Amino acid sequence: MKNFLNIFLLLAIAATVQAKEIKLLNVSYDPTRELYVDYNAAFAKHWKAKTGDDVNISQSHGGSGKQAQSVINGLEADVVTLALAYDIDAIATQARLLPADWQKRLPNNSTPYTSTIVFLVRKGNPKNIKDWDDIVKKGVSVVVPNPKTSGGARWAYLAAYAYALEKNNHDDSAARGFIKQLYKNVPVLDSGARGSTVTFAQRGIGDVLLAWENEAHLALKEFGADKFDIVTPSLSILAEPPVSVVDKNAKRHHTTEVAGEYLKYLYSDEGQEIAARNFYRPRNEAVAAKYAANFNQVKLVGIDQEFGGWTKAQQTHFADGGVFDQIFQP
Amino acid sequence: MHKMKLNWKLIAGIVGAQLAFNALGANDLEVEQLKKQLQELDQKVRILEREREIDGEAAVAKAATAPKISLGASGFNLSSGDSNFVAQLHGLVQLDSRSFFNDGGLNGNDGFLLRRARPIFSGTVFRDFDFNFTPDFGNTTVQIQDAWVSYRYSPELQLQAGKFKSPVGLEHLQVDSVTSFNERSLVTDLVPNRDLGVQLKGDLFNGAASYAVGVFNGGTDYNGTTVNNSFQDDKGFAGRLFFQPWKNTDVNGLRGLGFGVGASYIANHPATASSTGLTPGYTTDGQQKFFTYTNGVNAAGAGWRISPQANYYYGPFGLLAEYVISDQQVASKTQSADLQNTAWEISGSWLLTGEDASYAGVTPRHVFDPRTGGWGAWQLVARVGELDVDSKAFIGGAFADPKKNANSATAWSVGLNWYLNKNIRANLSYSHTTFASYAGIPISAGSVPYQSEDVLFSRVQLAF
Repeated sequence: MKNFLNIFLLLAIAATVQAKEIKLLNVSYDPTRELYVDYNAAFAKHWKAKTGDDVNISQSHGGSGKQAQSVINGLEADVVTLALAYDIDAIATQARLLPADWQKRLPNNSTPYTSTIVFLVRKGNPKNIKDWDDIVKKGVSVVVPNPKTSGGARWAYLAAYAYALEKNNHDDSAARGFIKQLYKNVPVLDSGARGSTVTFAQRGIGDVLLAWENEAHLALKEFGADKFDIVTPSLSILAEPPVSVVDKNAKRHHTTEVAGEYLKYLYSDEGQEIAARNFYRPRNEAVAAKYAANFNQVKLVGIDQEFGGWTKAQQTHFADGGVFDQIFQP
Repeated sequence: MHKMKLNWKLIAGIVGAQLAFNALGANDLEVEQLKKQLQELDQKVRILEREREIDGEAAVAKAATAPKISLGASGFNLSSGDSNFVAQLHGLVQLDSRSFFNDGGLNGNDGFLLRRARPIFSGTVFRDFDFNFTPDFGNTTVQIQDAWVSYRYSPELQLQAGKFKSPVGLEHLQVDSVTSFNERSLVTDLVPNRDLGVQLKGDLFNGAASYAVGVFNGGTDYNGTTVNNSFQDDKGFAGRLFFQPWKNTDVNGLRGLGFGVGASYIANHPATASSTGLTPGYTTDGQQKFFTYTNGVNAAGAGWRISPQANYYYGPFGLLAEYVISDQQVASKTQSADLQNTAWEISGSWLLTGEDASYAGVTPRHVFDPRTGGWGAWQLVARVGELDVDSKAFIGGAFADPKKNANSATAWSVGLNWYLNKNIRANLSYSHTTFASYAGIPISAGSVPYQSEDVLFSRVQLAF
């Protein structure tokens, strides 16, 4: 009977291995659709050449905070490529699907590319918007997503806040006043960056869109350079969207190896080129130099230096009862 | 004068021009204001429309995560938005009648009975853990039929613990609400019923093969009354391997073919105060006992079963065949023996209304509704089977009394099933069983096998 049991167990395990089909789910934030469409095709070729196996990668996009919550609630992401580290931290602490030190596993704190926040204005810049001061003026309508659900919106909020701090000698109450004035000019809050682009570009609402740099370029590409202009403010934030394997999901799906390689390959020359072509600032210096013309020079402040890291920034500004809740009345 | 006239004209012209200029200036301003107002209004309308759009998107997103409640032919279902938590309420009620003919005056076997009355609570918690709790208020005793939890790692690997059907008999494993006849055949007399234990099971190669293997208390040959405990040191093993090699292919003629083998083994199953370790009796289609061991005979040593089995479904046609050997060492106060009882059955079905037959039941193409010309599904069923008790059981009346018990029973049955819809079914069937005694020793009058058994069954069933 013992042998009988052993044979059954072996059969079951063999079947599990046999039935393996390489499928990956990348749960990402809103504006990365085009980036990962390009990158997935390149990676599938790379993986096929390396292993002979086909890999089929699915993408899921939405506001970064919402996406993280979906993974916590059971969306079986093999990898997450979200807008900010805090959202992946939430997956690690609340669902324990990956270790707390996940950010140490890949170079540059697991952020293979960076970005920043710029202004997208209507062609000819009719409201003459040049810097943050111009968007808090009365009569200027600003489109930006909800920082409670969107990673891009949190970066935009912090960029504005950093500007106000610098302008007011780090007077926090003045900075709050500035932010309050800014959100008074926001007529509608979308849940994610792509929704805000729709609001601004397709629905014709607002004078300025606070957008991811890549999203602004994409809007020019998609809707026509004759419709919008990109304005780079004097100061913005260094946005570092991180990536990680979701260990427990990948283990269950037997995709740990392919998921790890999927993220590592983002740092390869090809991965960095694809990022740059999609208007993400590459980490690789050679590739960055090659695509320098795509990116305007801007003073960038880091989240750690200016706000003491994401955990503190989240707690102070975006948690329930935080600064955002205090200054924004829908 | 002329000069003055000219001056007046000039003044009038200047004033007129000024007035005209003023009038024009005022219009421009108004137009500009109106334009601005229009733009503001346009923005307001756009914002309101967008807000409505966003609210709609939010409502759709919320609906996707909101708990779902459904009530239909599959019962009552309550599930969390992500389907990780599911609670289901199903039910099975069977009202039967049995009418025996020429039964030699046996009393108390004709009449109506509530064969099964089961509320079925089942569901899932934390996505991967399934559960089932099924009490039965039918017949004469309240029983817990199923009470188990199962961890579903993948379709290939599931671990189940609790009380559930022992994985041996093909006919026995078929769900109670979809069997061809009111009662299972003689072959099920030799397989274990529900038992307490732990089993590993799964479907391999997308269902082309399935397996189940487990450790159980070790049930006797079929016993309609199951217990919820067993304090014996020895445990039994049971397992089953079943193949449907063409299930996922385009070979229509073979897609519905399945075959496999079930087996069980127990090294020892000593009698206790409450159990002999042996069957309480083998029963006919009419649920009358035609064989019981003599009082004082107990299981004494190893017991095993093996059951080659197959089924085949092609369009409206269905076939199920099974053979069982049940081997058990028994002992009385004075002697012991190894008895090997065997049984087989073949049953066929044909759906007159053209639906597809299957092991999982029948779904009528047109539900019963005379107002719209729907008459449900109609199915003809037929079955033959036999059970042979090892002759050693009767030698010198060692383990069974040859004057009261049959050495073998052979039965045939025919029936007509009417599926009004997925939930309501009515059966009518006739069964004829003949008995053979050991070495031609006459059976005593008053015993079940004294004469052949002829019984008419009917059933009205609600299953949801």
